Amino acid sequence: MDQQKPAYLRPALIAGAVAGLLSGLPFIGAGNCICCLWIVGGAAVAVKLLAASTPGILKAGDGAIVGALTGIVAAVVEAVVSIPLRSFNMELARRIVEKASEIGGDMPANLDEILNGSGMTSPGWFLLGLFVSAAVFTVVGALGGSIGVSLFGKKALPAAPSAPSPTTPPSAAPGPPDAA
Amino acid sequence: MTPRSVRRVWLLTLAGTVVWLAAIVLAPWLAARGASGPARFLYAVFAPVCHQIADRCFVLDGHPLAVCGRCLGIYAGFAAGLVLYPILRGFARVALPPARLFIALTLPMALDGAAGILGLWRSPIGLRFATGFAWGTILPFYFVAGVADLFRTRRERAAARALERRGSNKVE
Repeated sequence: MDQQKPAYLRPALIAGAVAGLLSGLPFIGAGNCICCLWIVGGAAVAVKLLAASTPGILKAGDGAIVGALTGIVAAVVEAVVSIPLRSFNMELARRIVEKASEIGGDMPANLDEILNGSGMTSPGWFLLGLFVSAAVFTVVGALGGSIGVSLFGKKALPAAPSAPSPTTPPSAAPGPPDAA
Repeated sequence: MTPRSVRRVWLLTLAGTVVWLAAIVLAPWLAARGASGPARFLYAVFAPVCHQIADRCFVLDGHPLAVCGRCLGIYAGFAAGLVLYPILRGFARVALPPARLFIALTLPMALDGAAGILGLWRSPIGLRFATGFAWGTILPFYFVAGVADLFRTRRERAAARALERRGSNKVE
């Protein structure tokens, strides 16, 4: 695993596409409001896929790479998915506001501006949103990938009958229980 | 991996976290002072990662912070974990925390969040902050390890490729 490069792209594309799709859908996309659930989960799933297709032990760095790639793919897919759903999301938000104002609930800080379309729907805001999402999802994806290695990474290579016992790479494999 | 490179990743992460936390507080501070353009920009920056529902946010100068109480707890916990990182882990070695510790710190927030979504329980903002904080403290131990190892892996592979190229040139 040290010098041989694992195939990061395929797991990142699969998991990133699913995470981006879930992030872009109405209602379901709100899962990202719970600590970027879809992105962290997607990155962890990408690590699971990578672990299944890689013979060696995955390290934290492998998880971070595939997680970061998953985050980038997810940001792009989310942006693409949200374009045709924009009008639906607006209508949905408007209904929620009407319902909530009937019972006197508090509104999100900038919801009025969003509903009035005061510049928030312009290409500039779209690009800003894509850029911010890509940056945040990359960081969160790297984090999710490292968590994925801890949860799904192989702890040791299966013992070969005639070979000497395998050694764990010196760094960043899932650690001893003294951590943190 | 050298302790210096891990320290560098840790320092960069610490700087980024301070900026991120400052931006969360800056949004309502600017809004209260009439700078609605920059405030709106900052609220928009945090919109993809938080619902920003006002009654679930702490308030500063009459305006909600840019993220909800739970998200603020996660980021504050992340900052606290980063401060503890050199004491608990040090820079000499990089290893991931055990999965069971991650699950133990995730469970309170997951249960609180799930109960809220199912309508079984409406937790006060302080509890949301606390459960988020607990979860956030373990995250830097994954993030710093992952990113530091990422750079090490890239460096090692680049060096191996260069060695291979040199070897094949000699053969020719």
